[in-house]
Amino acid sequence: MAKAVLLKKTLFWIGVAILLFVFVFPIAWIFVTSFKGRVDIMVPTRIFFIPTLENYIYEFYKMPLLREMKNSAIVTVASTALVMAVSLPAGYSFARFNTGEGHLLFFTLTTRMFPPAVAAIPFFFVFRNWGLLDTHMGLVLLYLYFNMSFATFLLYGFFREIPEELEYAAMVDGYSRLTIFRRVIFPLIAPGAAITTIFCLIFSWNEFFFGYIFTRTVARTVSFGLISHWGSVVVMWGPMAVGVGIAILPTLIGGWFMQRFIIRGLTFGAVKG
Amino acid sequence: MAEVKVENLTKSYGRLVAVNDVSFSCKDGEFFTFLGPSGAGKTTTLELIAGIKKPDSGKIYIGDELVNELPPQERDVAMAFENYSLYPHFSVYENIAFPLKAPTRKEKLSSKEERKRVEEMANLLGIGELLDRRPQHLSGGQRQRVSLARAMVRRPRVYLLDEPIAHLDAKLKVAARTTLKRLATKLGTTIIYVTHDYKEALALSDRILILRAGLVEQIGTAEDVYLSPVTDFVARLIGDPPINLIDGELVSVDDKFLFKVNDEFSFEIQKEILEKAQRIARQENGKLKVRIGIRPVYVGVSEEKLSPNSFQLPVYAVEHEADSSIVTFELKDTFLIAKKNKKVNWGISDKVYLDFDQTHIHFFKKTLELSKR
Repeated sequence: MAKAVLLKKTLFWIGVAILLFVFVFPIAWIFVTSFKGRVDIMVPTRIFFIPTLENYIYEFYKMPLLREMKNSAIVTVASTALVMAVSLPAGYSFARFNTGEGHLLFFTLTTRMFPPAVAAIPFFFVFRNWGLLDTHMGLVLLYLYFNMSFATFLLYGFFREIPEELEYAAMVDGYSRLTIFRRVIFPLIAPGAAITTIFCLIFSWNEFFFGYIFTRTVARTVSFGLISHWGSVVVMWGPMAVGVGIAILPTLIGGWFMQRFIIRGLTFGAVKG
Repeated sequence: MAEVKVENLTKSYGRLVAVNDVSFSCKDGEFFTFLGPSGAGKTTTLELIAGIKKPDSGKIYIGDELVNELPPQERDVAMAFENYSLYPHFSVYENIAFPLKAPTRKEKLSSKEERKRVEEMANLLGIGELLDRRPQHLSGGQRQRVSLARAMVRRPRVYLLDEPIAHLDAKLKVAARTTLKRLATKLGTTIIYVTHDYKEALALSDRILILRAGLVEQIGTAEDVYLSPVTDFVARLIGDPPINLIDGELVSVDDKFLFKVNDEFSFEIQKEILEKAQRIARQENGKLKVRIGIRPVYVGVSEEKLSPNSFQLPVYAVEHEADSSIVTFELKDTFLIAKKNKKVNWGISDKVYLDFDQTHIHFFKKTLELSKR
């Protein structure tokens, strides 16, 4: 009996160790690589090496990493704010009034059903004519486009969890719909809204495809910037590792602090009166 | 304070007509109850008055004002919901105080006055100790009282209470009923009350409106609906054990009229009620059919033949209550129940004499199927 339990536990921890290795190794490898000199990088079997900051100095002084980070931050935050401004009322409206009798909601979702390239081509021509290529505004609009449907659908689900009677009660208590939304509905979906916001932030920060196609220098984002280390003559592994290591930091730190919140948001439901 | 007048109110959900041409007028300060089984349209009618649902047709007046187009927050009504609908992110105190803080209210209370009002109401309903808790941490009965307190804390034109004490346990229910009645009398505000429990309705109401499948069956005082039910449905709804409903025919023998169920079970109908019996009876296959209703307390049972009108039936079962007995007899499609204010010890199949108090016999048209269940 005790043996069986021990075996079970051992197997469990072996499984956990394998998973951890799969997830943590690439990240650890990136950070380790960022401190390696050019020669050490080319000999991956070498475990011990003399750490150097040359990659960091190169990345920060020779490469536009900081500007790209700023661009990414601007675009990510602005697009997420816009997405929430659109998706909160949209999700509420779909959930409460069944706006469009399901067709409109489905239509919103279909925008995520084809490859982004299909959307990219028409957008490219429109943006070219409107002078939106390589601008923050252009990227913000694109990220609004591809995050909105997802956010709306997620929020729609959260809003549906809240019984309609709660709103009726507040109306009879003398409140207008807008005040009810602010004082009763929003506090109840706050965990859901938070998780949606986090997802939008992460998606926008990590987005590569649109950033690659629609920006060049002025509005170039971090994820695009990373592959610019990959030149036609030389691949700058060291500085690239620095860039990658820094680019994943916001998501990593954010995820770390938010993990409890995320779990609460994902299992959110059961708002019983 | 205001009267509530409803004219030809109709509301359907798809094909189901939940409220069907309902009209009534509830006087200023009246305690007015909707009574009916589930699905009768009580809650829907209440929600229409509150403005939560829109009627298909009909008019609703609160005071002299036609409120059809007004949203709930402008109707100045307070409502307790059957499913409580408490705000889960507020404490009990905040839940009860929420209606007092509404921007649409004319009376602005200072936070001191507000606390006084909330505490007063909470103490009255026995939830004064729970003010700092969240609704999730309350029992069903406590939540229901919070919901009632939230409705009663305001001074609206009309209170709408949907089964506000249905989920309290028996002892608490009686106490809450008393509290509610005292509160209603003290406030003098119109109350429209929904219940499926006839005892609550009789205990609290000035008048009762009985709904059946969306239609008004009867409107009257407690005495009216208990003593003179207009249909067998109303009669069945009120009273425990339920009223006996028996189908039979009117047969004239010589110059007498008999109510005859079968060969063993028949009795003479006295002259005083004969005219009513004949008015309600209907021809069916050449027979004059009628349904009688008599409450169990007016069915006399004894071992001796007390009057020439007595008849004999075998006992089906005898149940005992604290100081009375309930004797059941089996008929073809239903049971006949007699309540005797004395303990009796008859065995199954013992033949005893039955004797109806004829001043308490009601005659009905048949609108309800009988069953032994």
